[in-house]
Amino acid sequence: MAETLTSRPTLADADAHQAHAHIEADTNTGISNTKLGMWLFLASECLLFGGLITTYLLYRRPLEGPTPDEIFDIPFTSTSSFVLLMSSLTMVLAVSAIERGEHQRMRVWLGATAVLGATFMAGQIYEFTVFVREGLGFTTSRFSSAFYTLTGFHGIHVTVGIIMLVSLVLLSLRGKIPEHKAETVEIVGLYWHFVDVVWVVIFAVVYLIPT
Amino acid sequence: MTITSHDDVPTTVLDGAVKDYSRDKVYVLTAIFLAVLTIIEVFTYTAPDFPLWAEELLIPVLMILMAVKLFTILYIFMHLKFDKPILTRIFYSGLILAMFVYIVMLATFRFWF
Repeated sequence: MAETLTSRPTLADADAHQAHAHIEADTNTGISNTKLGMWLFLASECLLFGGLITTYLLYRRPLEGPTPDEIFDIPFTSTSSFVLLMSSLTMVLAVSAIERGEHQRMRVWLGATAVLGATFMAGQIYEFTVFVREGLGFTTSRFSSAFYTLTGFHGIHVTVGIIMLVSLVLLSLRGKIPEHKAETVEIVGLYWHFVDVVWVVIFAVVYLIPT
Repeated sequence: MTITSHDDVPTTVLDGAVKDYSRDKVYVLTAIFLAVLTIIEVFTYTAPDFPLWAEELLIPVLMILMAVKLFTILYIFMHLKFDKPILTRIFYSGLILAMFVYIVMLATFRFWF
């Protein structure tokens, strides 16, 4: 038994020899199909969000109703952006923890990521509520429709991410995420980071560039 | 060194096996770097007359900051820097296609005029 344990290559062995080791999948590319599929999905998401951002840029000068400069609360949105940015850190620390075999720490980081994501969503719901109260409904103007569609789609993505994070924690508690399945956490992490990347673009293009 | 996915790696061997692991430090430093860039972005709003981003410089500065943040997350947090190049190519194919299509769309609608 001892010979079996020491002769097998492990993630720990791999990590000891290179800064960033990855499990070589038994496929033509050496990448697992799920990981390849996630990257293809994220590439296609560039087209989805690109379309929504472009539509917003074309319609951001409203013909009626409040203008973006009048209604946006930049300090509040900056705080939300910071929260989402920090959730990327906790996510990558969760991936790092499972690669080291630290299950408890992984669950803590995943939980922290979900909480930060939920905080961001609470902020977005509050922001939407304030906007509606100030007279910016979904159909008020072409700007409001483009704005709510873009940020709403992003919010849906964050919500799906939170559901996946909570599912990972529950699976881990049941012992269904051993180290050799660490890639499952990494794939969810890819999705989460992409959601953060999209917000980086939205924050700059929608909120910070004046109309 | 690589290992194949069909090797059953014993959990007991791996638990806490790599304690002196410096990757987390890189991640924390990356997050601090991203936070600093976000603070600079917010400064462009709170101090719009600062010479570095005054008037027509504002949009290029914001675009550069956005791009640096975007690629930092892609390369460090999403591991593109360390992963197989095919993943970078796949993602760039989607990103470049999207940029091309929507720049054409904006030009068609005379966004810049």
